Amino acid sequence: MALLEVENLEIAVSTQRNLLPVVQGVSFTVDENETLGIVGESGCGKSLTSLAIMGLLGTSPVRITGGSIHFDGMNLLALSERERRAIMGNRMAMIFQEPMTSLNPVYRIGDQIVENLRQHQNLSHAAARDRSVELLSLVRIPDPSERIDSFPHQMSGGQRQRVMIAMALSCDPKLLIADEPTTALDVTVQKEVLDLMADLQSRMGTAIVLISHDLGVIAETCDKVAVMYRGKIAEAASTADLFAELLHPYTRGLLNSIPVVDRDVEWLEAIPGRVPTLEETLTGCAFQPRCELATELCACEAPQTTQFKPGHSVQCHFAGQDRS
Amino acid sequence: MNTLIFLRDAFAGRKLATAGFLWLCLIVVAAIIAPLVAPFDPLEIDPVGRLTEPGWPNLFGTDHFGRDTFSRAIYGARMTVIIGVGSVLVALFCGGLIGMISAYFTRLGHFLMRAVDVLMAFPALLMALVLITLLERSVVNTVLVIGIVYATTTARILFGMTLKLKGETFIDAAVCSGAGNSSILFRHILPNLLSPLLVQASFIFAFAQLQAAALDFLGLGLPPEVPSWGNMLSEERIYITRAPWLLIYPGMLIVVSVFSMNLVGDALRDSIDPRFKDDIAGV
Amino acid sequence: MTDPLLRLVDLKTHFQTKGVGLFGEKKVLKAVDGVSFDIAQGEVLGLVGESGCGKSTVGRTLTHLEKTTSGQAFFEGREFLSMTPHKFRPLRREIQMIFQDPFASLNPRLKIEQTLGEPLFIHGLCKTWNEARSKIAATLERVGMDPKIMSRHPHEFSGGQRQRIGIARVMILQPKLVIADEAVSALDVSIQAQFLNLIKKLQRDSGMSMLFISHDLGVVRHISDRVAVMLAGKIVEIGDKHQIFEAPQHEYTRKLLNSIPRIAIGKEA
Repeated sequence: MALLEVENLEIAVSTQRNLLPVVQGVSFTVDENETLGIVGESGCGKSLTSLAIMGLLGTSPVRITGGSIHFDGMNLLALSERERRAIMGNRMAMIFQEPMTSLNPVYRIGDQIVENLRQHQNLSHAAARDRSVELLSLVRIPDPSERIDSFPHQMSGGQRQRVMIAMALSCDPKLLIADEPTTALDVTVQKEVLDLMADLQSRMGTAIVLISHDLGVIAETCDKVAVMYRGKIAEAASTADLFAELLHPYTRGLLNSIPVVDRDVEWLEAIPGRVPTLEETLTGCAFQPRCELATELCACEAPQTTQFKPGHSVQCHFAGQDRS
Repeated sequence: MNTLIFLRDAFAGRKLATAGFLWLCLIVVAAIIAPLVAPFDPLEIDPVGRLTEPGWPNLFGTDHFGRDTFSRAIYGARMTVIIGVGSVLVALFCGGLIGMISAYFTRLGHFLMRAVDVLMAFPALLMALVLITLLERSVVNTVLVIGIVYATTTARILFGMTLKLKGETFIDAAVCSGAGNSSILFRHILPNLLSPLLVQASFIFAFAQLQAAALDFLGLGLPPEVPSWGNMLSEERIYITRAPWLLIYPGMLIVVSVFSMNLVGDALRDSIDPRFKDDIAGV
Repeated sequence: MTDPLLRLVDLKTHFQTKGVGLFGEKKVLKAVDGVSFDIAQGEVLGLVGESGCGKSTVGRTLTHLEKTTSGQAFFEGREFLSMTPHKFRPLRREIQMIFQDPFASLNPRLKIEQTLGEPLFIHGLCKTWNEARSKIAATLERVGMDPKIMSRHPHEFSGGQRQRIGIARVMILQPKLVIADEAVSALDVSIQAQFLNLIKKLQRDSGMSMLFISHDLGVVRHISDRVAVMLAGKIVEIGDKHQIFEAPQHEYTRKLLNSIPRIAIGKEA
């Protein structure tokens, strides 16, 4: 059994009139020492999926309407609020996109790590402080024994994100969920943070779910990838398999949309149109209005997830086919 | 059009605020058609029927001149509306202009806002008293004085909001299009201030009533012959034991009206806080 | 050789920052500290750098949104940074700016036609609303929007659509120089590609020059003819895009290029 198993997850947002599905039938597994990348554009449901795993949807109008999430054999959706809190920040941790707002500006960073440690582990204040210094040096903050008394605003964005990682790792979590951890950072800092995460993973065996809109980040850091489009997983495979053969027209379109630094392209092959809004109800395949392969079949029947090859699943009637 | 939708959203599901709004509408209507609904002339003196108890035909009784209290209360609604609307206009115009200009032209603003700070250091009533002693007692002067007192807070609020709007990208964009200062201030900034101005107006409306009543009570507000709720309280206060209804009715009217205005103000203020009306596009 | 359309000579923009604490010393932040470059007629210069390097301040200084500390900028041979706002106004038509955030750059209270029509009237390109509306319609079509939307308000549109409207506002004046400040950064990948194509096409068709400011090296390579790399207020390397991307000279340029995550496509991965 895998460490994290998400099965047929359904999330919907309730409006004044009805329930609009935002995540539909999402399933994936993550093992120890493995990194799963979830990639997609804004509104595809990738962040909601991560919030659902962490139990952070809370009382918002967005709620889980079906499916199951198992972590280490436990059904997360059946846990009480108290049991869930014992796991969160301890055996499961999360890193958010915005390092500026996810640290409390009025406390020293050391105090924030210490508090997190003492909440979950039976440590004296002095021991927790020693451990915090250790964690800060682990995430390569220079002069950790001095920087531990800094306030968040005294650190750069990259350092703050590293503090967030230190905090997330403080209780040796088995699963780390990183929601766009480097999107707010510069490329050079992004590289350092991603390298750091990979290094820590190889040492601690943490499972990571990395959520990003950047195919490049995903390709460089993840073992396997799930491409999401409008609440569904369009294509999922190991990273090597996926980029060896892109099956879903959306994945191909996404890749062709990225201007690369290594060669010149006169015109980008952009995907026409835009992602349909939640209010627009669709029959058939969600990508069909923008798809060059679309036929009448696509307009009336939504494709099922099919295993195109072992370990490479896709939701498309014409998986792997070209325009011809 | 936007303002109508804004009003509808502000009062949706708020029974107390809606009741307050309706009460205010009633007062405005009474003020407009006062001569039609008042059973007696509010100034007509009747030496025989002094201090009669509430009943028929004098619903609220009569005062020590024998004037009909009910009719005076209806005409008092006129004063309420005139004082309220007048002070709001003066306060918003003066304060709004000072606030917006101070935020936009920073050098001049430093000077103007320090002046506003000094004025704000005086309690509102004290400042009103100082100003009114320099002028004659009249309706216009009362409106002017109360308006100027509340212009200071309005200037402060609009100063902050204009400063914030000035930093918005769409203002930069307008500058890049070649828009001049007056166009930026009145075409691009002012429309975005309308909702907060509406809220501010409703609070000034309420505070102006209290100020006016206080000035009347001290004998420094409206001329004594003008029927206003504050004057009624002031003139009849010595009869509080013999004819308490002479104070209870106007007192109640002031309390209920000010309370209503505050409720309306709260409802409007809550609905302009954009955090509560975000759409779901962000998920 | 004719004069370049824009020539920037040793531009400096410094900001006074507040001191720390009550008696803290005021510090000077040198956002732009001696930047010089030329942009020829019809040329696209990409300006890349990481956050805080001053690349946006260059654009904001050129449009008089920030005060110049020292240095000169010549547009068709005329110095314009020292001009008074009044004298600069006619030049605003020639030098236009595309902003990053499509949600913040349109006035929420104005209809699309008001936002697009205003610059036409300011610069005297139209006398009547009928004239203006036909121009607005034509420009909206050029940026791929239905002209019928001109009577609506910005909140009715998605981020991508708003950015198209933002570009329409710029193109309607037929400027000679467009400064695009992170113009595609807030957009999703698939929408971003549409925009890069659109901007490139508009630039080619109109022959305008462009200063394209971005942190994204891939985007800059795609759209620019020449590239300048900025670090801490200064340009560390400037040159033809092929030279910058294929044979970078400066250490920082190499570091930037090495940091970009790359995708290995195909079987060889």
